[in-house]
Amino acid sequence: MSARLRLSNVRKVYGEGSPDAYLAFDSISLDVAPSEFVAVVGPSGCGKSTLLRIAAGLAPASAGEVELDGRSVSGPPPGVVYLFQQYAKSLFPWRTVIDNVMFPLEAAPRSERRSLRERCSEYLKQVGLAGFENKYPWQLSGGMQQRVAIARALAAEPRVLLLDEPFSAVDALTRMELQSLVLDLWRENRFTAVLVTHDVEEAVFLADRVAVLSHRPTTLSEVIEVGLPRPRDHIATREDKRFLELRHHLMEALLGRLAPVAA
Amino acid sequence: MRDRLLPRLLGILSIVALLGAWEVASRTGALNPVLMPRPSLVGLTLWEILVGGEFLGPLGHTLLLFAVGYGLACLIGITLGLLMGASPVIYGLFEPLVELIRPLPKSALVPALFLFLGIGPATMVTVVVLAAVFPVLINTLQGVRGIDPVLLDTARTFQCSRTRTLLSVVLPAAMPMILAGMRVGLGLGLVLVILAEMLAGESGLGYLILDLQRSFQIREMYAWIAVLAAVGGTLAVIFDWMDKRVVPWRGRA
Ligand SMILES: Nc1ncnc2c1ncn2[C@@H]1O[C@H](COP(=O)(O)OP(=O)(O)OP(=O)(O)O)[C@@H](O)[C@H]1O
Ligand SMILES: [Mg+2]
Repeated sequence: MSARLRLSNVRKVYGEGSPDAYLAFDSISLDVAPSEFVAVVGPSGCGKSTLLRIAAGLAPASAGEVELDGRSVSGPPPGVVYLFQQYAKSLFPWRTVIDNVMFPLEAAPRSERRSLRERCSEYLKQVGLAGFENKYPWQLSGGMQQRVAIARALAAEPRVLLLDEPFSAVDALTRMELQSLVLDLWRENRFTAVLVTHDVEEAVFLADRVAVLSHRPTTLSEVIEVGLPRPRDHIATREDKRFLELRHHLMEALLGRLAPVAA
Repeated sequence: MRDRLLPRLLGILSIVALLGAWEVASRTGALNPVLMPRPSLVGLTLWEILVGGEFLGPLGHTLLLFAVGYGLACLIGITLGLLMGASPVIYGLFEPLVELIRPLPKSALVPALFLFLGIGPATMVTVVVLAAVFPVLINTLQGVRGIDPVLLDTARTFQCSRTRTLLSVVLPAAMPMILAGMRVGLGLGLVLVILAEMLAGESGLGYLILDLQRSFQIREMYAWIAVLAAVGGTLAVIFDWMDKRVVPWRGRA
């Protein structure tokens, strides 16, 4: 189950019409094929979250269009799930872990609840949280909270998973574990994935293609084919010559060394 | 646990010291023993009231009035606060009215209410509602306003309907604020129910305390004031106990 996500000439202006209108980015076009994993890298504040929110139908674009399987997106479409940068805030503190994971399924009729609960336990097992069903999110570590958010995303059976720097707030080791987890789940469930991040290595490690957002005025400066073999491994892949080349190139782009001298 | 014990002991000590000073002052005549009878005598009277079960009638009366008024106030305050927080139209409709009545000391409305509702339970319940509803309402509104947008976006991406979002996301998310408002409303409501009973009651703790004062049964008056203090204290303890169970994530999420 996966879908094609297409952004055409998307532009976002905050405070449109007012004197202090702020152009976040302009003319961004990106075509993500079904089951593809695309990473978008850009410096902090360049508009990554804004772009992803527009892709999710959570915020309107000022111009341009977002299409999901050829259908224009105007609100959050079913099957598009967003993993938030502030994952701790996206969990419901009054619900236990299992009830958080159940949340997307609660529109289902009561008679199915039992089997759905079992399915949710299964998702928790997949993210390595078996046995934590009846804990509350605030009783868990940051990395575990993000795992709960991932299990909840799975429960919604996503066609598209949008990941907004989901691992930026956890320690380096946990980050690698979560990256591998997401890759495993992506391979099993074949959803389309779009990740935004400022972490170049993360982008290269996870994605099929990496799109680079430029410094202000933000636009899409290039899209690079990663071409590293899968399954990817934190030690082997990161030592691959191709990995280092890509890392080098993207770092240069993000640090602005490739920026042409203004005329 | 240990570091909480010492302040608590000191707190009890200050009460004991005050009562002791009063006892001595009353015995030596430094305080007028008629107007300020010795705490030991008041204690004896209190004991008689408690053992005889005499306190149950007036206490039940006051608590019933209070419970009805406070319950209504919470119901109205939370419902209206949620709706005002969720809908600009409803907000626009009620905001001027709320801002008009809210700053009024509710005790000032008691005489007027007697005119409309007569001297009886209807007035007293109304007074309690008026006293307790505003802190609940305002806090609910602020709780709804202050809800993290990430939580609402989460609900939206999971196709949560407006009603379900309101009831199963907004309401629980605002709960810590709502309970803080209910805590304030609890104190105000209690003050007003006693005041209303003093002004218009034919029974209840407020009525009794004033009646005893008028008939110069000073010792009994103090004993009943002690009962009232215990009621206030007990309600506060029950409330805090409930608060910990309803919003265990307070300050942690
Ligand atoms: N609601 C808003 N109103 C006005 N400006 C906004 C709003 N939200 C974001 N911005 C601005 O748009 C720009 C992009 O913000 P955004 O959060 O999308 O960046 P980001 O790339 O996700 O940053 P980070 O890496 O720090 O998460 C920022 O300069 C920000 O100040
Ligand atoms: Mg961001």
